[in-house]
Amino acid sequence: MDSDSQLVARAQSGDQQAFAELVCRHSTPVFRLAVSILGREFIPEAEDVAQEVFLKVHHAIESFRGEAEFSSWIYRITFNQALNLKARVRFRSPHEDETVLCATATPEPGPERLAETAQRDRTLAECIRTLPEVYQSALRLYYWLGAGVGEVAALLVVPENTAKSYLHRARHLLHSMLREKGYSSD
Amino acid sequence: MDPREAAIDSLLRRSMAAPVPSPPPDFDQQLMRELRQGLQRQSSPVLDRYRRILLTCYGLTSVVVCAVVMRSQGLDWGAIAVMILGPLALVATVPWARRATHTRIRHSAK
Repeated sequence: MDSDSQLVARAQSGDQQAFAELVCRHSTPVFRLAVSILGREFIPEAEDVAQEVFLKVHHAIESFRGEAEFSSWIYRITFNQALNLKARVRFRSPHEDETVLCATATPEPGPERLAETAQRDRTLAECIRTLPEVYQSALRLYYWLGAGVGEVAALLVVPENTAKSYLHRARHLLHSMLREKGYSSD
Repeated sequence: MDPREAAIDSLLRRSMAAPVPSPPPDFDQQLMRELRQGLQRQSSPVLDRYRRILLTCYGLTSVVVCAVVMRSQGLDWGAIAVMILGPLALVATVPWARRATHTRIRHSAK
């Protein structure tokens, strides 16, 4: 099987099949990264981001000089593209409210408990949205999309220890925020 | 992981558990179709020739108009030539300079 750099070299010389292979290899991680930045409310937008990223990469592949890994390059582009879109869709109403999805995922012990849990999940989702973008993305990748620390690190183009530290700091910040709002994390 | 962190970890696992989305199954094919269509549009020979002709006409008209205006202001032909060809030479030099700088950086990095 050809490596990414071999496929890139072939794509640079105009081989569309090689580019199709690169798309096939990287479309899922690119989509997951875009979703992790945009959140559950904007899944269709994440598809658009993934598509725009590959169109951009196709357009710019000749200028790619191989100084970094192809995957790092494409993930960096995805991160920026998703952040740009997030800034644009911030004030648009979401397709699906993040807290509704949270509520459906929790067990239902009783109406009161359910309402309390839903309220806490809503507060937690709000707290997550106030965290720095990389922390939000790391949390969604790890807790929602089921990525390991290695995958979080690869997608955010940082060393594994940095990814661990993002998660650690995000948890710490969330704990303090929830306590300030009168919730315990137990 | 300390107990506080373990508690928030468990809360996050419970609260963020939801179906994991994936790109549509035909995402790759759809994207490649779009790329092929884009390439066909870009590399249409008729369109390319039309664009080139249009750009050349625009460039030539600009040069002639500039020269006529400058001449009417009393500049001699030497100065007019320098003022038109100078910027063009500068524009032509930029890509060459960028390539040369990049090569030097790569060599010094090795």
